Amino acid sequence: MNAGRLATVARTELAHQLRRPLFVILLVITFLTVAGLSSGNVTIQSGASQVGGQKAWVTSEFAVAQTLIFLTVLLYSFFASVGSGLGIIADEEARIGPLLHASPLTPREYVWGKFLAVLSAYLLALVALVGFLLFFHHVVPAGENAEFRGPLSLVNYVRPAVLFGAPLLVFVTGAAFALGEGTRRPVLVYFLPVTMLFVCAFFLWDWSPGWLDPRVNRLLQAVDPSGFRWLTETWVKVDRGVAFYNHERVGLDGVFLVNRVGFLVLGLACVAWTARHVERGLRGAQVRPVRGKTLADIPVATPLGTVVYEEAPLASLGMGARAPGVLSGLWVVARAEVRGLLSQPGLYLFVPLILLQTVVQAMNQLGPFETRLLLSPGFFAVRSMGVASTLVCLLLMFYTVESLEREKAWNLAPIHDATPVPTLSVLLGKALANSLVGVAILVAVSVAGVLVQLSQGRVPLTLTPYLVVWGLLVPTFVAWTCFVLLARAVSGGRLGAYGLALAALCLTGYAAVRGHLNWATNWPLWGSVLWSDMGAFERDRTALLLNRVGMLGLSVFFAVLATRLDGRRAPDAVNTLERLRPAGLLRGAWRMLPWAVVPLGVLLLAAVEVGQGWQGAAAKKRAKEYWQKNLATWLDAPRPAIQSVDLDVELDPAAGTFHTRGSYTLVNREAKALAAYALTGGDHWEDVRWTVEGQDVTPEDRSRLYVFRPPTPLAPGAVTRVGFDFHGRYPRGATKNGGKTDEFILPSGVVLTSFGPSFAPVLGFLDDIGIDPEENKYEPRVYPDDYYEGPTRAAWGTGVPFTTRIRVTGPAEYTLNSVGVLESDEVKDGRRVSVWRSDHPVSMFNIVAGKWAALRGEGTTVFHHPAHVYNVEDMRRGLDAARRYYSEWFYPYPWKELKLSEFPGLATYAQGFATNITFSESIGFLASSTPEANAVLLITAHEAAHQWWGNLLVPGKGPGGEVLSEGTSHYSAMKLMEQLEGPQVRMEIAKRLEERYAKDRRVDAEQPLVKLDNTREGDNTVLYDKGGWVFTMLEDLMGREAMHAGLQAFLRQYIPDADHPVLQDFIATLRPFAPDAAAYDAFVRQWFHEVHVPEYRLSDARVKQEGGQWVATVTVRNVGDGRMPVEVAAVKGARFVPRPDGESGPSKPSPDYRDARGRVVLGAGETAEVTVRADFEPERWVVDPDVRVLQLRREQAVLAL
Amino acid sequence: MLSLRNLVKVYPGPVSALRGVDLDVPRGMFGLLGPNGAGKSTLMKILAGLLEPTSGEVTLDGVDIVRHPEALRPYLGYLPQEFGFYPYLSGEAMLTYLLKLKGVTAPRGLKTLCAELLERVNLTFAAKRKVKEYSGGMRQRLGIAQALAGDPKLIIVDEPTAGLDPEERLRFYRLLAEVASERTVLLSTHIVEDVAMLCPRFAVIRQGRVMAITSPTEAKAAIQGTIFEGTASTAELVDLQRTRRVTQAVLFEGRNRVRIHAPTGDVPPGFERVPPTLEDAYLLLMKDTREPDAARAPVAEGVREVAR
Repeated sequence: MNAGRLATVARTELAHQLRRPLFVILLVITFLTVAGLSSGNVTIQSGASQVGGQKAWVTSEFAVAQTLIFLTVLLYSFFASVGSGLGIIADEEARIGPLLHASPLTPREYVWGKFLAVLSAYLLALVALVGFLLFFHHVVPAGENAEFRGPLSLVNYVRPAVLFGAPLLVFVTGAAFALGEGTRRPVLVYFLPVTMLFVCAFFLWDWSPGWLDPRVNRLLQAVDPSGFRWLTETWVKVDRGVAFYNHERVGLDGVFLVNRVGFLVLGLACVAWTARHVERGLRGAQVRPVRGKTLADIPVATPLGTVVYEEAPLASLGMGARAPGVLSGLWVVARAEVRGLLSQPGLYLFVPLILLQTVVQAMNQLGPFETRLLLSPGFFAVRSMGVASTLVCLLLMFYTVESLEREKAWNLAPIHDATPVPTLSVLLGKALANSLVGVAILVAVSVAGVLVQLSQGRVPLTLTPYLVVWGLLVPTFVAWTCFVLLARAVSGGRLGAYGLALAALCLTGYAAVRGHLNWATNWPLWGSVLWSDMGAFERDRTALLLNRVGMLGLSVFFAVLATRLDGRRAPDAVNTLERLRPAGLLRGAWRMLPWAVVPLGVLLLAAVEVGQGWQGAAAKKRAKEYWQKNLATWLDAPRPAIQSVDLDVELDPAAGTFHTRGSYTLVNREAKALAAYALTGGDHWEDVRWTVEGQDVTPEDRSRLYVFRPPTPLAPGAVTRVGFDFHGRYPRGATKNGGKTDEFILPSGVVLTSFGPSFAPVLGFLDDIGIDPEENKYEPRVYPDDYYEGPTRAAWGTGVPFTTRIRVTGPAEYTLNSVGVLESDEVKDGRRVSVWRSDHPVSMFNIVAGKWAALRGEGTTVFHHPAHVYNVEDMRRGLDAARRYYSEWFYPYPWKELKLSEFPGLATYAQGFATNITFSESIGFLASSTPEANAVLLITAHEAAHQWWGNLLVPGKGPGGEVLSEGTSHYSAMKLMEQLEGPQVRMEIAKRLEERYAKDRRVDAEQPLVKLDNTREGDNTVLYDKGGWVFTMLEDLMGREAMHAGLQAFLRQYIPDADHPVLQDFIATLRPFAPDAAAYDAFVRQWFHEVHVPEYRLSDARVKQEGGQWVATVTVRNVGDGRMPVEVAAVKGARFVPRPDGESGPSKPSPDYRDARGRVVLGAGETAEVTVRADFEPERWVVDPDVRVLQLRREQAVLAL
Repeated sequence: MLSLRNLVKVYPGPVSALRGVDLDVPRGMFGLLGPNGAGKSTLMKILAGLLEPTSGEVTLDGVDIVRHPEALRPYLGYLPQEFGFYPYLSGEAMLTYLLKLKGVTAPRGLKTLCAELLERVNLTFAAKRKVKEYSGGMRQRLGIAQALAGDPKLIIVDEPTAGLDPEERLRFYRLLAEVASERTVLLSTHIVEDVAMLCPRFAVIRQGRVMAITSPTEAKAAIQGTIFEGTASTAELVDLQRTRRVTQAVLFEGRNRVRIHAPTGDVPPGFERVPPTLEDAYLLLMKDTREPDAARAPVAEGVREVAR
């Protein structure tokens, strides 16, 4: 290799790369992105950023590494791939090869020279990125975010750039180089970064279930080209606290070094291969030797003697010509394009990628408590919509642009463009052919969906949902393709078209993330479409239709505009300037106006629909007015309590309307007389009439807070009856952009609750109406430590149980459920009237209606969609068991019935109203269980537990209150699981909760349970998972009977009490039942008042045989904190016999299993040696074999012998 | 009739490629002769509707094809100077595709027509081969086949014989001559021999302007008796080039065979009057340094004037 020639090639190419608009655009985007990021928006997910405390610095090595990785994968890999991969293709298109290769320049010099130049250019861009970061972090830092910046340390920038950025760039440029040279297909060059991005973002960076074998995890870390998985799994996933991330260096290990060196070598190997490929290609295609043949046997390329002069004149051919019409031209072009597409390998790479990505995404969607879901066809189709639409749009962009560039690239354009085929035919023909690829992908995804359903073996197959859902995407694909045509026509070239199209896609993504999309602007339908097996697209149907018609109208507009602007005839620069003058533009706009009328009109209608809907600006303004006018006066104003509720609710699910008549009997339980009291009404209510003691009254309407001022103040203990009569549609109008809706009246089902004024007034002021998280959110508040002393207000509801009589009227085919017992159920004139009366006071009430089948148990009933039979038996079993065992363990169930009703999956929650539990279809009814972890039973047991923890006992409002609802329900569910399914299932469930806690907690932000208010990131897992675990460990400490006695005493004390308890009350009540008060206090301090979690490691394991016994020794170290007695066992064999799928009941212990246990109590950093004697040869050491102590990284507390 | 009026094309820079071209192209074969960079290909592209002129007018039988380039396309056969094909298609498939795009019809169907056209350009043997395997000449012949297909009113061929061997060149001449009998064929070339052989009339274009519009016979007649030929050493040639109007100097058997233009008959010893060739006339025009406005004449005035 001649260094001089190599340097010449490199210099020339580098100068070219640095002058390219591509490179300049990258620098500009990088500059703007870094400016945005420097404001502290991207930090390590640690630290109590919401409530003060030290912030994670954007300048730390960890933060810089993350920023660098994101930017290099998202931006640099794409730009470097294009810059590198298209280099040789561009030379080929410029036909410079013969000249270059006729010179002394060798292929190796040519290839390595070009590669070094591209690599240098993008390494320079990396240096620029580091420079921009330094500039924005330290030279012109954003003043308001000073707390996110640490002191300047160059190493924090240089190390990540060298360790993460540079190897990735070497790999990407090398691989793109090889791909471009090897295939000469630009589409495949784009394929590389897109594939890498999707594989990284949706798999390597994201997929890390707790059950993943650590070896597989390490392997995945090793194959991640960005190194991000390694960084996350090794350093970030288990939170180490802000101080660590702010000050420590990213420690390296063997896996990381193998990963980085591996990708470096791979990139360089690609270049070496490229050089070899070019060298071989220069001499033409290789010919296989033909045995037994001589040169004379091989035909010549151009035979002689074929020239014949005695031909008939051309006129004798009778040729004529008729310019092809739009459709026939379109057909000709489309057919040729399809042929071209089929000949390209990109198709066969993109389609499997999209298929894989879509199916994996759809299958990995999790339900509550991270349970897997059964995928019915509709749910599968809708869940894969977002990924499918994004990926297909990307593919359509690449294919459309490349297809439009094809004639130019192969120099056919002069002939092609001079033919009379209409430009519209050319553009639409190409678009149609490319769209067929999109259709093929959707068909493939559908087939994959069908296979998934077949493999589940439970959900019946129907194709209609696929047709309906994919049908909705067709306008998206058509509109997008036409937009890409327009982008190409406007920009006149490949890169300009990509720039415009990607900018549009990014803008849409940004709008989606910021919540700015609505039915008028959401062209890809991102996040807007929900599925229900009980009724498809019942909500927002008009808005959806307008959106789709609008997209088709836009498609036509884009296509026409693209046809007018398409550069089939190269425009004259002088004339172009003339056309760009205002008069010229106006003329052009006027000519396009007829094509814009339909899309503009239709999308405007959609916007109006959104604006007038319940999430529209007008509704928001009214809600804000409610908050503004009433917050100061009514938030903490004394209020009466509801003594009884009498409602008559007429439902018309087909029309989405209701009519409520009824009354509340209110009683003043305050010590002072009440001069006024208030009820909150719904924004959607119409013709509202009020009565007091049967007399019409007109309360003061303070933006839907109706204030009643009785002539004489309501004396303590006095009772009054407030009547009301109103009707409305719920929800009123369209949503802003689809998505979830908590309560609704739809043909497929009705869910209405007393949490808000949907169908009945709510007593007092509601502090969650009119709240904008960015403007007027006032929670979390800082509560004083003794806030719970004295009477504490209820966390929800009025706090004082009341009686109800609710008469629900609806179509005869519906079952109409509410709280209490069914007093009567009649059908008259096609209308069903069901009267529900509470047989024991309740704190909240609801109505749920649907066309169900019912499965009855012992005082329990599961009402379900007739097709959703998959889990109802488990649900019934769970309800029966909950009713029986929770009554035994905690408090007798006071109501006669316990119902569980299914509602359409427009919301994904379950709510445990007294006697009347509601489940979304995607919770429980479509949960997918494994023999080891019965998710259905867990969910049912948890929600059933809320009859006790949440209904009978309504916790107090304030920190630690909600733990008495959710944590206790999780604890109850784990107990019930063990009762029904045995220890294996309990252990499996406990491990999953523990993994979720380890993954989702924020170590610096984590509040002790007594301070927990569920407002911070990471609080949810503490509330549910840690809460459930801590109560379980408390039972282990106190003993089962003592715990039960304590819980029963607690419930007996607080159920009838107006003072609603929080965790401190619970702790105090249970203490007398603890057999060891000191241990109880220590436990309470550690797990309720402080934040500690142990994490164990085993080392130095050895075993020796002494006589007929084995003596095994191991060293145990607590690398976490928290002191707990924990067992350490030397183990042989599997513990349980695997349970066949579908079998219920406790697992059988394996006869081969043996263990010998020791016990240690280790504080933070403490070490102990454990020795056990066993009459078997142990295979491994396990810490906490019974899964009794909450800890981090349990999978690493195992050591094979 | 194809008419060009005051056609101007300015590229960004700015540089002008056409500087007010006026031309009437009658039915039959018409040549456009000019050196490299004279503006021929720009003119061809404008006529083919691939390039928008800066100003000027082009009409074909009264139809303004600057404003309505799509009006020309159904009647156009175009063979550009540089072109390619989809490499993954066979010659036959490529030609069929282009015939469909042009809306060509034939009584015995497109497949048969395609085969016959390929036979006319001597590509039958390679009909099934992928175009990427074609040689330069084979690609050129495939281009010729598509340009002649259909029933075009106007055929524009830009440097069509580039890459053709003598045999194929002759075959192409015959085809062009045949089709030119009923339509307008515009042949752009810098090869004088092509024009001499095919075009009853032609225009000479230089620096974006038409220098002359004439016929080969008229052009030659205009310099009849003024061309002398003799031999000269290299040193003598240098002197001749300084003192005389040398039209051509070619090496023949190691000596320079020199042709000079001497309207007065005053020639060096050894030089003899010879019949003029079209190349003499063309090269005389090319060596004229005057602005070509005066040369724009409907007949051979330009050549005559230069000859004077």
